[in-house]
Parts: sequence; C-alpha cells; structure tokens
Amino acid sequence: MKGLIGVNRYLPSCAALLALSAALFSAGAWADLYNDGKVLATGGVSMTDGAGGGGITPWATITGYGTRDGINGDVHYTYVNLPNYALNSIGGAVGLWDRVELSYTNDVLTTGSTFNTVGLLTDTLGLPTGIAPWNTTIKMDVFGAKVRVFGEAIYDSDNLIPQVAVGGFYKINHNRALLKTLQASKSKDWEAYIAATKIFFPINTLVNVTLRYTAANETGLTGFGGPKGNKREIRPEVSLAYLLNKGTAIGVEYQKHGGNLEGQSVDLNGVVVPGDLLGSLTQHESDWYDAFIAFFPSKNLSITMAYAMLGNITLTPNQSGYYISLQASF
Amino acid sequence: MKSLKVITQIAASAMLLFAAAQPALAAQDPTGSKQTTYPGISSDALEKFGGEAGVHNWVEALFYYIMLDNRINKIFIEHGNVARQIALNTQLEQMVLGGAVQYEGASMSAAHADLGITLTQFNAVVEAAYNACERVNTPYSVCNQLIAALAPFERSIVTR
Repeated sequence: MKGLIGVNRYLPSCAALLALSAALFSAGAWADLYNDGKVLATGGVSMTDGAGGGGITPWATITGYGTRDGINGDVHYTYVNLPNYALNSIGGAVGLWDRVELSYTNDVLTTGSTFNTVGLLTDTLGLPTGIAPWNTTIKMDVFGAKVRVFGEAIYDSDNLIPQVAVGGFYKINHNRALLKTLQASKSKDWEAYIAATKIFFPINTLVNVTLRYTAANETGLTGFGGPKGNKREIRPEVSLAYLLNKGTAIGVEYQKHGGNLEGQSVDLNGVVVPGDLLGSLTQHESDWYDAFIAFFPSKNLSITMAYAMLGNITLTPNQSGYYISLQASF
Repeated sequence: MKSLKVITQIAASAMLLFAAAQPALAAQDPTGSKQTTYPGISSDALEKFGGEAGVHNWVEALFYYIMLDNRINKIFIEHGNVARQIALNTQLEQMVLGGAVQYEGASMSAAHADLGITLTQFNAVVEAAYNACERVNTPYSVCNQLIAALAPFERSIVTR
C-alpha cells in the first residue's frame, strides 16, 4: 500500500510532464528548441555539486551543448574513491539558451570505518548520533542555478574580459544526527558564487576563477558552520585546463575550504568527548586539490578521470584517491 | 542582511566590469594587419602553417568539410562563389596570422549582414576549421593560433 501511495503522489507531476512533452512534440517546437551547436568540449563537464564546470569548481560556462539558439541538457555519474570514504554523485542539468543553467544532484557519501570507534561506543550506550557502526552514510541533495551575466569565454580572444556568471546552490544534508555529532550548526544551507572563465587559444589554456560565498564544511557533506564559525565567507577556487586536442583536456584545480569544525571533537548527545580520549577524535578540514584528464569522444559523452587530494576529512587524514565522472549530453 | 550586502557588492562589481567592457565589444573587422589577441598569436604561426601554400591547403580542406556539412553547405552554395571564397580566405587567414598580405574582400560585417547567420552555424564552421587542420596535419596548438585570430569575427558574422 505504501508503494502505491508513493506512486500516486508522483502521478500528477508525471501527467503534467507528459502533457508538456506532448505539447512540445505535437507543436514541433522541440525541434526548434533543441540545440547542440557548441563546439566539442566547450560545455565543460559536471562538477560534484552538479553544475557545469570542472570536477569540483563551477565555471561561468553554461552546461551542455546548447548555444544561445536553444536548450540542451546532461546527466552525470561521478564516483570518488578515498581511503575512508566513497562519494557517489548522480544528477542532471539543463542549459537554457546558453544563459541559464538549472541543476540537481544527489550526493551519497559512505564513510567506511571513519566513525566505527564512536559508533560502537554510542551504539552500546544507545545514543542517537547518526552513526551506524560499519555503515554510516551521508546523503545530500543539491539544487543549483546559474545565470551568465556578460563576457565571452571563447570568441573574444581580442580582449581579456572573461565570461562571468553568478550562481547558487541550495543543499539539504539528510544525516542531521551525524552533523549534530560533528557539531555542525546547520544541515541545510545555500551558497552563492561568481565565476569567471576565459579560454586563451594561443596558449591552448582555459582559466577559471570562482569565488564562493559559503559556510559549508566539506562542501556541505558535513554540514554548514560550527563552533569555529557560522558565517558565510568568500572562498576562492581555481581551475586550469590545458587543451591537448579538440577532444582532450588535462588540468588542475584548487578549492579553498573553511575551518568551522577545525580542532573540534565529537558531541555524543550533549557530551563533547575530549579529542584524545578515544584515540584521534579531532576534526580537521583541508583545502582540496585535483589533477584531471577529460575526454570528449563525442558531444554525447565525456569521461573525466582525476586524482583528488582532499587532505583531512573529519577524523581521517590523507584522503587522496581516484575520481571518475561520466557525463551524457542530449 | 550581511549576505544581501555582499551579493549586492558582487553584482555592482559585475556591472562595473561590464560597463568597462563595452568599447571592446564593437563589431570586429579585418584591419589590414595581424589580429590582436591576448596573449598574442605566436610569431611563427604562419610559418608553421606552411606559409601561403599551407594556408591555401587548409582553406581548401575547410571548404571541403563545409560543403559536406548539411547544416551549413546551403548557405555557402546560395551566397557566393566557392572558388572566390577560397581565394579571399587564403588572403584573410595569412593576414590575421601576421603575413604581409592584403585581404581584398568585403568587411566581415558587410559580407554577412543579410545572411542571418546563427551561432550554431558559426560553430559548425569552427568544427570544419579543426577538421581541416587535422586533414592537412597542422598540429592542434598551431591550429589554435588561427582559431584565436578568427574567433572575434563571431561578433560581426553572427547576426541572429
């Protein structure tokens, strides 16, 4: 019965969607709206928050292959394998007339053995910490929107004015009990950013600089704010990509992180455990780096492989590992 | 409220930058000399392209791909003589790469004013340009010198 009720809830929206598609197709409007006229690779890839950009940084480019003449979209799946964590990100985005981008992504972070010491203890004591020993998972929904404001990343090679876009994310982290244990202030929050992107063809190089206004801990996977700071702050991010040929780019990225939970221990249902009582229970957060190679075999597919160097994440140091992202555009 | 203030400040700086950018957004036309780009086109670009003969081969390949592309070939068939366009493009491409060659054709905006060219069609020619570089074995990094030189013509060619 529960399943049926669930289906019923979605029926009206499904019907609306069908009616919308029917209207689009019957009018032949879709043929006019659909566009894949951007040059190969210039739509970028999907970053872990779901927006068009690099691997971890949103760019000023609008996702997909639509030019100002139409709309285009993409879906992506990203997997990051770190010593103590695995991130699975799946989502979709649409680019409207190369002006507006709307995105959604669902991040699922499994935490391996990270919280086992805490989990076993609190499980025995029956404390609600959001930690299931051996199986603690963090799920987060990320809604994104971006508007291109001015500038041409590609065509205006005769000036230095970058393409500039402003955007934002609204993130809902669903493991509220764990965030409380980690002493994060909030489980839902928004972030805003301004991104500037320019391709310098004479040196085959793309440069992107983004300033993100955020209070996120580990992009929101461990919540927002904490004992060391609750206010949003401006954090810079940089992507450099070198174009090897029309379908291959290599590059590096940097993302500044905050210190809202820096040096903090865990809060077990109101009792903050001294950091060294149960071994190392002190949290740290490092800036993120990655080095990537992105392949664009066609306008319908991109494959990005990266080595991510994320440093300290919550209780665990040296979190470096491989990243792979597949993006299908249509 | 503080966040609202920051957003307002970001928006204000963006508007200022935009205003500063305006003069640079005027229509782009061949000026009878090497195209100015940032950073500049490498000084040996024309030589690496194979000089006049190499550029001519590239233009031949460009039109080969354009005429096979069903998205755009009709425009080229309906408007103008392909042999003449190949000759004029050979002049233009040498000139924008820094060659001592005078382009004798009409300005980019005059030549395309009535065609209603879309950005999608312009990009189809960019794709043909990269295919042409591969066809004549001009390395991608050399090809991008020419792409950099031609890209600003987008502002005078695309009118829709």
